[in-house]
Amino acid sequence: MSSALGLFNYWLVIVLMMTGLYVLMAKQNLIKKVIGLNVFQTAVIMFYILLGKVHGGTAPILTGRPDEVYSNPVPHVLMLTAIVVGIATTALALALVVRLQEAFGTIEEDEIRRQEEGA
Amino acid sequence: MKKNYILKVSLKPLIPFIMIFGLYVQFHGDFGPGGGFQAGVIFASAIILYTLVFGLRAATEVVSARTLEILVAAGVLLYGGVGLAAMARGGNFLEYSALAHDPLHGQHYGILLIELGVGLTVAAVMVGLFFLFAGRRSVR
Repeated sequence: MSSALGLFNYWLVIVLMMTGLYVLMAKQNLIKKVIGLNVFQTAVIMFYILLGKVHGGTAPILTGRPDEVYSNPVPHVLMLTAIVVGIATTALALALVVRLQEAFGTIEEDEIRRQEEGA
Repeated sequence: MKKNYILKVSLKPLIPFIMIFGLYVQFHGDFGPGGGFQAGVIFASAIILYTLVFGLRAATEVVSARTLEILVAAGVLLYGGVGLAAMARGGNFLEYSALAHDPLHGQHYGILLIELGVGLTVAAVMVGLFFLFAGRRSVR
């Protein structure tokens, strides 16, 4: 299963990550940029969760059976923190967009840059 | 948002079910998938849905900004309080086993109370963020 198709999960992560990166770079609308950042972040979170999953492993709660296989909880817990931090950074980014909208009357990045150069 | 009767009638029955599901995720979190973070966000989404349908003024009559501030602090206080209660009963900080005579029961109470604190804080913060963005008026 080590062929390219056997790594289907990882292909999915790469596609999702590149989608986020494309939105982040190509879109001028700042709200769309924030959404792109979130998609990118979701890809990273999925990647870490894939790393922690052991094939046939159960939730890491001790069962007492010696041949039990557990999934690795560390990446999963790490991503729980990443999700919470992501919420906070999204809220901060949206607050900045609101302030930019108030200051410039637009949330298009090229429009803001034009106004900055004109002033 | 004055005359959207279809929206109001069709979305209003959803709200209690979303809240019940949030509470299920909250209190079933130590046996299955779930926990305070997810439950808090689900519970907050019910209030956000109410705000979207009925307007910000109706929603702030249900939960005022002051209540949200108190709830945010209360969740953190509950979390820290459980840790200190464990210390007061002779254990380490957040050592759940010291909370009851039976260590297994102690673990159970501990994780339930901790997750309740997390859920309270997360729900209040999410609703508070939404209220702040929705209630914001342009300065100029």
